[in-house]
Amino acid sequence: MSTIVPKIALTAGEPAGIGADIILQLAQQALPAHLVVFAAPELLAQRAEQLNIPITLEVAETHQIQLHQAGKLKIIPISLVQPVKTGQLNVENATHVLTMLKRACQACLDKKFDALVTTPIHKGIINDAGYPFTGHTEFLAQQTKTSQVVMMLATSKLRVALVTTHLPLSQVSAAITFRRLKTSLEILHQALRSKFSIDQPHIAVCGLNPHAGEDGHLGTEEIITIIPVLDELRRAGMRLIGPLPADTAFTPQNLAGMDAVLTMYHDQGLPVLKSQGFGEAVNITLGLPIIRTSVDHGTALTLAGTGQANTHSLQAALNMAIDIVKHKKN
Amino acid sequence: MRKPIIAIPLGDPAGVGPEVVVKSLSDPNVYEVAKPLVIGNIDVVKNALTICRQQAQINRIEMPNSGRYEHGTIDLINLQNIDVAKLQLGRVQAMCGQAAYEYIEKAVKLAMDGEVEALATTPINKESLKAANISHIGHTEILEELSQTKDPLTLFEVRGMRVFFLSRHVSLRQSCDLVTKERVLDYIIRCTQALQKLGIKEGMMAVAGLNPHCGEHGLFGDEEITQVVPAIEEAQNLGYQVVGPIGADSVFHQALQGQYSAVLSLYHDQGHIATKTVDFERTISITNGLPFLRTSVDHGTAFDIAGKGIVSEVSMTEAIRLAAKYSPHFRRFSSVLFD
Repeated sequence: MSTIVPKIALTAGEPAGIGADIILQLAQQALPAHLVVFAAPELLAQRAEQLNIPITLEVAETHQIQLHQAGKLKIIPISLVQPVKTGQLNVENATHVLTMLKRACQACLDKKFDALVTTPIHKGIINDAGYPFTGHTEFLAQQTKTSQVVMMLATSKLRVALVTTHLPLSQVSAAITFRRLKTSLEILHQALRSKFSIDQPHIAVCGLNPHAGEDGHLGTEEIITIIPVLDELRRAGMRLIGPLPADTAFTPQNLAGMDAVLTMYHDQGLPVLKSQGFGEAVNITLGLPIIRTSVDHGTALTLAGTGQANTHSLQAALNMAIDIVKHKKN
Repeated sequence: MRKPIIAIPLGDPAGVGPEVVVKSLSDPNVYEVAKPLVIGNIDVVKNALTICRQQAQINRIEMPNSGRYEHGTIDLINLQNIDVAKLQLGRVQAMCGQAAYEYIEKAVKLAMDGEVEALATTPINKESLKAANISHIGHTEILEELSQTKDPLTLFEVRGMRVFFLSRHVSLRQSCDLVTKERVLDYIIRCTQALQKLGIKEGMMAVAGLNPHCGEHGLFGDEEITQVVPAIEEAQNLGYQVVGPIGADSVFHQALQGQYSAVLSLYHDQGHIATKTVDFERTISITNGLPFLRTSVDHGTAFDIAGKGIVSEVSMTEAIRLAAKYSPHFRRFSSVLFD
């Protein structure tokens, strides 16, 4: 393990949402990283006042790398288009959000930061502004010119990765191609080794259909695509279990000894992780040329400015980014 | 307290059914809530007692109302259809498929005649049934035919959360096509009726969404907008207590906290994942739409561990408990048997 100070870029997300709240709350403690927030300074100042949180904002200087100090935030200013009314989406500020993400992403690509930690954006308002946008994960893939990424949610007890993310359920079957599944597994396998220091990862792979297709009686994608991919990668040395019926893949017996579960679609794995008491989840994008973690919750517009927003997920996302930076094998 | 008679067909004699039954009936709490009546074969029951190192007196009876229903006694309607000398535990055998079928047949007859209040069923094996030339593919299909009913509605219950399924044994791709306004509306109505038949007349039913985040206003999938919402609105206009669509990440979580009388899930794995992950062993299937109440364990014959006495009876006990819980409310026949 190195003694470097991890340099973390943090984006404030949708300005009307709780991104600013949780960043300001988190910033009240000393943190084991050099933290720089990409945000509108006036938004942070306004929200801090609303929350009655003391904060000192200063523009980040690239050459000054130091651990985060309680109550002080280094920022890279991103201008708002219009002033923010807490809790109220404004289509005019969609470009503000996109600029924030682009600049933070670029700064990571330029190695000015070791990792990117994001807070929630609002997909709907960005689309309303005329920019097709399905999520951070897909946007960052585009920005970094990465053809395929894997979204993974992780808690201290369970890691769940997805082959498809924000896709209509009716299109999932067509999206599960041999190539896509194989690449997903390769990305996941590689990331478990390089980012989580697991030398021989054990991965459980869910089927697509009920009962994992029951020998083709309930769908053929397992036979045509999934099993051949698993067989090929097993021959290449990967330790893969499956395809498993998804309804029993998450029982304690089946999870024992598994380092991650690969699910075929969003709602196959995420509801389990989020609701069944596996703890605070962090969203991490695998396969990007940069390290990126994120909170697992939404903009929670109604909580913005109330002081009710919970920082646990952001804290977990930051911790994970720091861990990965420190453990990264070069 | 009035205790209902629950018929328990023994299941495939070569599987773990007999073991879960005798283990479950060794629990005095079962007799606090129910009068369990085993439909099976005396030698198989004795065998299971030995395997599980249990002791109980077996009380052979002809009619349910002559049972003792005391802890320490297993009341049994004996069908002489198993030659234990030939019984091979953990193996597919025609004799066992035939026997399992006959236990169900007898239990259904008793239920149809109003002699028992409900059925709590144990696992049968499709291969054994096939070996016995019984063409039905599963339990529910057998029950459908024996009771002359069509299209029964399956409900899962675990820790107080109830989940219905808009579709079950079809591919994921096909299940999307089955999400139509007509079907969702029909299921809201049928599920509400099923709940009422179980005595659940209060509370709000929730409909789950189909797409990630319910399609996020049509960004990824529009079935919520074009099919699900119109169905829910029409049901609401008809006076049904129903809300939704609510994303799968939230709706089951809320249901576990007691917010809904039930959740209508839109495809097999959506509801199965949500229930079995909470507590696999206590996820019990309740079949609605039959002329009698039926609960079932959700595990199989587990041939690999049959005869070892190590199978868990938690699911069986829970199935009996739920049958007893809902029996007093279940109304189909006027001739309800009570003390």
